[in-house]
Amino acid sequence: MPAFERVTRRSLLRGGAVMLGTAMAAPLVAACGGGGQGGNAKELTFWNFYGPNPQGDARSKWFTDLVAAWNANNDVKVKLHYLPVSEYLAGTALQTAFSAGQGPDIFLLSPGDFLRYHNGRVLTDLTPYLKPDQIADFDGGVLDTRTVDGKVYGLPMEQEPLAVYYSVAAFEQAKLSEGDLPATWDQWLDVAAKLTTKDRFGLLFETIPGYYQNFTWYPFMWMGGGSAVPESGKPGFDVPAVHNALKFWQDAVTTKVAPRKPQGDGAGNGPANLGSGYVAMQQSGIWTVSEMEQQKKDFPYGVFPLPVPDGGTYTTDVGGWAFVANAKGANPEAAATFIAWALGATDEAGVERGRQWNTVVKTNLPARKSVQEAARAAGAFDKPALKVFLDEVVPGGRGEPRYTPEVYKAVSDAIQATQLGGADPATAAADAASKIDAFLKGYQGAAML
Amino acid sequence: MPPCSETRAAPGDRPALAAAAPAAPGAPSPRWSRRRREALAGYAFVAPDLLGLLVFVGLPMVLAIGVSLFSVDGFGGYTFAGLDNFRQMAGDTQLWQSVKVTLTYVVTFVPIGFVVSLGLALLVRDHFPGVGLVRTLFFLPHVISLVVVGVIWQFLLADKQGAVPALLRPAGLGDVSFLGNPALALGSLVVISIWFLMGYQMLILLGGLKDIPKEYEEAARVDGASSWQRFRHVIWPLLRPTSFFVLVNSTVGAVTGLQAFDLVYVLTKGGPANSTSTVVFYIYQQAFTFNNYGYAAALTTVVVAFLVVATGLMFGLTRGGRFDAD
Repeated sequence: MPAFERVTRRSLLRGGAVMLGTAMAAPLVAACGGGGQGGNAKELTFWNFYGPNPQGDARSKWFTDLVAAWNANNDVKVKLHYLPVSEYLAGTALQTAFSAGQGPDIFLLSPGDFLRYHNGRVLTDLTPYLKPDQIADFDGGVLDTRTVDGKVYGLPMEQEPLAVYYSVAAFEQAKLSEGDLPATWDQWLDVAAKLTTKDRFGLLFETIPGYYQNFTWYPFMWMGGGSAVPESGKPGFDVPAVHNALKFWQDAVTTKVAPRKPQGDGAGNGPANLGSGYVAMQQSGIWTVSEMEQQKKDFPYGVFPLPVPDGGTYTTDVGGWAFVANAKGANPEAAATFIAWALGATDEAGVERGRQWNTVVKTNLPARKSVQEAARAAGAFDKPALKVFLDEVVPGGRGEPRYTPEVYKAVSDAIQATQLGGADPATAAADAASKIDAFLKGYQGAAML
Repeated sequence: MPPCSETRAAPGDRPALAAAAPAAPGAPSPRWSRRRREALAGYAFVAPDLLGLLVFVGLPMVLAIGVSLFSVDGFGGYTFAGLDNFRQMAGDTQLWQSVKVTLTYVVTFVPIGFVVSLGLALLVRDHFPGVGLVRTLFFLPHVISLVVVGVIWQFLLADKQGAVPALLRPAGLGDVSFLGNPALALGSLVVISIWFLMGYQMLILLGGLKDIPKEYEEAARVDGASSWQRFRHVIWPLLRPTSFFVLVNSTVGAVTGLQAFDLVYVLTKGGPANSTSTVVFYIYQQAFTFNNYGYAAALTTVVVAFLVVATGLMFGLTRGGRFDAD
């Protein structure tokens, strides 16, 4: 009798058991694999969302030029691997690669995701590859959220602070002038109400749940003295400062001066929201300056710092991506050396590279003092919007916090529940605080800042 | 008669009889009866698909069961956790919220989608000028990528400036936010899902309707049956196997299908306030936001097991949609 006719119930069960056993053993086998830890490979992969991209734009060129300059003088070559920004930020490629032990040797990381990778022990300590003057060249506090126990695990490419953009035309239509720019939250809602029409909202905050929404909401929490986790002996999330911040965003929606849904891919997109006339004021980052320049060149707009609550202290959130090296990569030492050279070199070429990236290719504030000086000397901050960022927005800025995904989610749920779900801010904050406290009791990773 | 024909056996021949025939050079072995050869050919035809199913569906499913027994950190760290991942589900309030969202989605999308699709199928069943074009138009949304569907509807439903709020403005509903209001977001996804899938389901139901002999309806008409009576007593019973397929297919799709993830991902990211966070989206978040791969695999295992049992139960109870004893 042929084999295919001899399949019995018993043999099926036996086969199933073997498959299940194999499945249970597979994770252990995979765990033993890994991706060539501590090797000395001659080629490093660098995953990023800039280049070489199909458009071959200036950002892409900066990356390809950077790698070409390195490869011309080093035995260990770097190979760029481009991922579309949507895939890099919200896709599965990076996590899947690390899960399979095939993570890239060098990759881009934001502070919001730092702890996930650091606590997963895949980040290389860059400190041995940096001279003290290189570390000192970074702007005050900019390395804090990339440092654990005095060791630097990532070098930032840029600083991206948040501010408020406004439409000059909308202000004029509403008979408002620069003198009416709001300085407090109450004034902000009043001005937003005056700017709201049947086709336009007065003000835009992010409403899509995610890391970006949290990033844009944190300054409101900080301005009243709140924090997502207990800091310096102060209580954590369930405090009046947090209730007020949640309520402020809620009021903006319930009074209908702010939309429940942004246009385009979110409230970080200036041209799709402010530039399209969908809103008259929009909280966004410094990147919007270059986006408006490229996509809405003739749109007149201005920038002002985030207003503060009564009795609060001005602050804003300063984001920015960093180069990090995979500690389980093919050659972590070479990867760290590359990063120290690419973003930390203090020679003329290194400073010029930083200036180009921050003020020619993009509109950022440089993370390094020497680069800031070079950019200022070259007149990079003469543009009115950038001048506001440099002189008014950044002073008082605070680095984007590094929280674990569990803390992020608790905060995100509180923002969503109050802003769009109509929940009581105090109740939502208490609920989030209990989740955060329960998580912190068993947390053993690096400090949250 | 050529030698090879001597090895042929009638359907139902016993292998022993075939084995008694003399072998000829170049002819199949006499041990291979026609039945066996047909079986072999059948398996050969099925093999590529079966192999694909085993490698790309069966094996990952079995591996997922294995992973569900571990605590996985997403960076190569596996710790045996036994059934901890399964126990965790009981106290996971976010999961139960997602289950509620999914059930609401299923009990609204499946029946409404079915009724709309059946209505369309009945509408385009009989020939009239331009029927082909109408069928094509109804089916058209289904050929568009779900991501593009999401983007199109995002424009249509945009607060204040979208086409739908603009149309509703005269009725005083211009300020309604379809995707930003927790009370409306899931309903909006249901409507978009129906719009996307109605053409596909219509096509299947149309096939079922076309299979019903016209004579039955004619006989009922001659006997004086009204349109509703003809549908209720002639069409509906004969359409049950097709309806069963459509209902099972759309139920499984509503729980785990593309529209339960892609649309949510593009349009709402599970918001506002978790009101569109389906189970599949929650599983995705557990795996790729929190790196809880073990827990995500456990959730997947339970969802698949639930669907297998539910589908089996529906199949068993209805005997594949026949319902009536026949």
